[in-house]
Amino acid sequence: MSFIEVDNVIHDYVSETEEGGEVTLRALSGVSFTVQAGEFIAILGHNGSGKSTLAKHINALLTPTEGTVWVDGRDTRAEEELLKIRKTAGMVFQNPDNQIIASIVEEDVAFGPENMGVPEEKMLRRVDEALQTVGMTERRHQSPNRLSGGQKQRVAIAGVLAMRPKCIVLDEATAMLDPKGRQEVLKTVSRLNKEEGITILLITHYMEEVPLADRVIVMDGGQIRMTGTPREIFAQWDLLKELRLTVPQITELGHTLKADGLLSAPCVLTAQELAEEICREHPAARSELQTAAEPETQATARKADEQTSAGQAGPETAADGPENAAGGTVSVSDEKTAPEAADGPSGASGQAAAPEEARDVPVLSLEKVGYAYEAGTTMERWALEDINIDIYAGQFIGLLGHTGSGKSTLIQHLNGLVRPARGRVLYRGEDIHGKDFSLRGLRGKVGLVFQYPEYQLFETDVITDVCFGPKNLGLSAQECTARAQKALQAVGLPEKAWKKSPFELSGGQKRRAAIAGVLAMEPEILILDEPTAGLDPAGREEILGRIAALHREKGITVVLVSHSMEDVARMAQRIIVMDHGHVFMDGPAREIFIRTQELEKVHLGSPQVTYALQALRAQGVPVPPSARTVAEAAGYIRQALGAAKAGEVTA
Amino acid sequence: MNGITIGQYYNVDSVIHRLDPRVKLFATLVYIVSLFIAKSPAAYVLAFAFLALYIGLSRVSVKYIVRGLKPIVFLLLISVLFNLFLTKGEVVLRIWKLQITREGIVFSAYMGLRLILLIVGASMMTYTTTPNQLTDGLERSFRFLNVIHVPVHEIAMMMSIALRFIPILVEETDKIRKAQMARGADFESGNIIRRVMNMIPLLIPLFISAIRRATDLSMAMEARCYHGGEGRTRLHPLRYHGADRIAYLVILAYLAGMILLRVFGI
Repeated sequence: MSFIEVDNVIHDYVSETEEGGEVTLRALSGVSFTVQAGEFIAILGHNGSGKSTLAKHINALLTPTEGTVWVDGRDTRAEEELLKIRKTAGMVFQNPDNQIIASIVEEDVAFGPENMGVPEEKMLRRVDEALQTVGMTERRHQSPNRLSGGQKQRVAIAGVLAMRPKCIVLDEATAMLDPKGRQEVLKTVSRLNKEEGITILLITHYMEEVPLADRVIVMDGGQIRMTGTPREIFAQWDLLKELRLTVPQITELGHTLKADGLLSAPCVLTAQELAEEICREHPAARSELQTAAEPETQATARKADEQTSAGQAGPETAADGPENAAGGTVSVSDEKTAPEAADGPSGASGQAAAPEEARDVPVLSLEKVGYAYEAGTTMERWALEDINIDIYAGQFIGLLGHTGSGKSTLIQHLNGLVRPARGRVLYRGEDIHGKDFSLRGLRGKVGLVFQYPEYQLFETDVITDVCFGPKNLGLSAQECTARAQKALQAVGLPEKAWKKSPFELSGGQKRRAAIAGVLAMEPEILILDEPTAGLDPAGREEILGRIAALHREKGITVVLVSHSMEDVARMAQRIIVMDHGHVFMDGPAREIFIRTQELEKVHLGSPQVTYALQALRAQGVPVPPSARTVAEAAGYIRQALGAAKAGEVTA
Repeated sequence: MNGITIGQYYNVDSVIHRLDPRVKLFATLVYIVSLFIAKSPAAYVLAFAFLALYIGLSRVSVKYIVRGLKPIVFLLLISVLFNLFLTKGEVVLRIWKLQITREGIVFSAYMGLRLILLIVGASMMTYTTTPNQLTDGLERSFRFLNVIHVPVHEIAMMMSIALRFIPILVEETDKIRKAQMARGADFESGNIIRRVMNMIPLLIPLFISAIRRATDLSMAMEARCYHGGEGRTRLHPLRYHGADRIAYLVILAYLAGMILLRVFGI
């Protein structure tokens, strides 16, 4: 018998209606699969595909309506086996805060063993070992509230490990983390799988995490639609798109080149692999000119590959250490740009630069802004120091920086939610904290969409909620409704959802309704703090597409805070990188992403396509060092290979 | 919430901090009782001396404790003034319609002193005990109530979870408040009814979030084999040490002293 056997499982959620009737929602309809001990399985699927329901069956949090689930030979429906199943298959959930029970790290790790009645001496050893394994020993006496998201999830994993499980199910456990936190969690999980032989079921929305797995299960409509190795799954791009999923950007580039007949490999997973495949198939593309200059870039590309596939190295202890302060602003404007960039294909984004006449007066500017938390006490921490930023009408700005770099504090200065301790914030040349300036009026002009904005929905139906903003601006009821309708259309929320309660909507729809709530105020500038966090790939695309359309069609100035280099690179013209409360870089997207190594130093990186180009350059293929989109990168490669072919012919 | 020190944990290492929370619970209880049986100046001197010893050993800064009294100064003044003016007896001073009696002066002086000792004595518990130790202590001390089916473990678990989530919910409140302000909400102006109405966009999301967190947490607890207090062991079970035994003796001696003072009317 396999370690986990899921046999023809059906699961119905039954809820009562207001009229007293019952509504049945079938979340799983006939799912069967087996998992061998020690396997690493990734489970993919869009929101509502049934993957979380499936995960909860492995831990007996849910039991099948029909069919059977066996975990380590035990039927999950057997009442008396319940605790044994739960300690065999531990579970890590999405929200780091909502699964830590105790106020001290080590006590939380001990929670499971305490429930199991493990004797004191053994418990202490188990807690020690578990904390050691996830690299959190130094934080054992701290409050979980002081940890980063990634650290909290590692504590949650330690809590499961202390129960000595044979299997860990991670139910979108990386969804709410920043890239660094995700890396920490994935490294830990990979190592547990490889070294301790623990079976892993990783449920995720991030395609970049999938190559870690031995096998992938793709769910849709409560059924398994695909199974196979990551390579086999990602080779079927069309089917994945149909299931509202996607492939990593590097794989997409491979598929694009394949469609052009430039590449025959069915599926590439890393930048290095792509570069090697291209050079193998087109040996003439390597030019001698470039080879000598680029050992560094090659190293960078390798490192990037290691990151995307989370190497087998030990726990990332360095991540816990104090981060070295990297002050100072790096100016990029004078940097040499690749000559090829100018005559390359002009990218697929189609965004025009800001109109020149708007350049003289910035819409918003920060002048030497500084801000400190707990100012005047011994706990004083400067979140922002000497920030000088001018935002011009029509710009699309990407704001990057790891968690704690000051991004969130910065954007709250832009609409006057936070008052700077030093310096000034100007709206069209006027100090927003001046005596006669109306801050509430400004908030109508500078729309700020917070992270997880759906958490602020409160009205009985969607359209009333969206009217809240315009109503606060003092508009008539008619005007409010008109604006709300326009905003809801702009975010693409279907009309039949307008009268629904916001809490009946799907995750992506809720998010869009909340964004509409800010849009209805018809702001000139729209600031969005990670608008795609926690959404599935289709939901992410939908939101980003809407934002791009708002910028393109309505000319709204956009400031997009994001952790995804790929998203920022293809959407924004200008990039601002924050680090330790300073502006670390500020310049055009193309130039910023050439500086991969500097970005990695501040826990960021470049888009995958840029890594691909850099890997190609390292192999001697003459391509520019960065690209903003897959289409652009494909264009460069096509050009380089075309030139090589032409050269071959003339020779 | 700024500047409120009462009820906060004062993080230093001392003999008192290391005492078993059950001892400190007992001490607090004894101290409160002793203040109510104190009648004579001598009894107050003893009560004061005991508290001074407690504070001295705990290494909690006296300035910090005095600062902790600030929020209750108003309450203190009112009760003292009421007693001062409304106690009947031998009149010593008359201002307009108000009169101050000799008994009033004595009584209100005792009253004020008793209140201060009471509050400082009780807050020493929280200054020297972490919330978790306190819950543990309460759970163990009141375990006997299980006999009459009081769910002591569950109540203690609820308390400790509440303590864990207070900072998270405070932060969340701030976030929602800002998010609604970004949509033009006004939480600062208007009359009281208007202001209460304006709180709705803040309170509803907060409640919903709290419920969502509770659902998530209960699932996470179940997934980690939580099934009530039955058969549960602890990582750091409470255990008495030498110092705890001595402390019990000191507390009992103090109580005996206070009773004797009362009985002999000294």
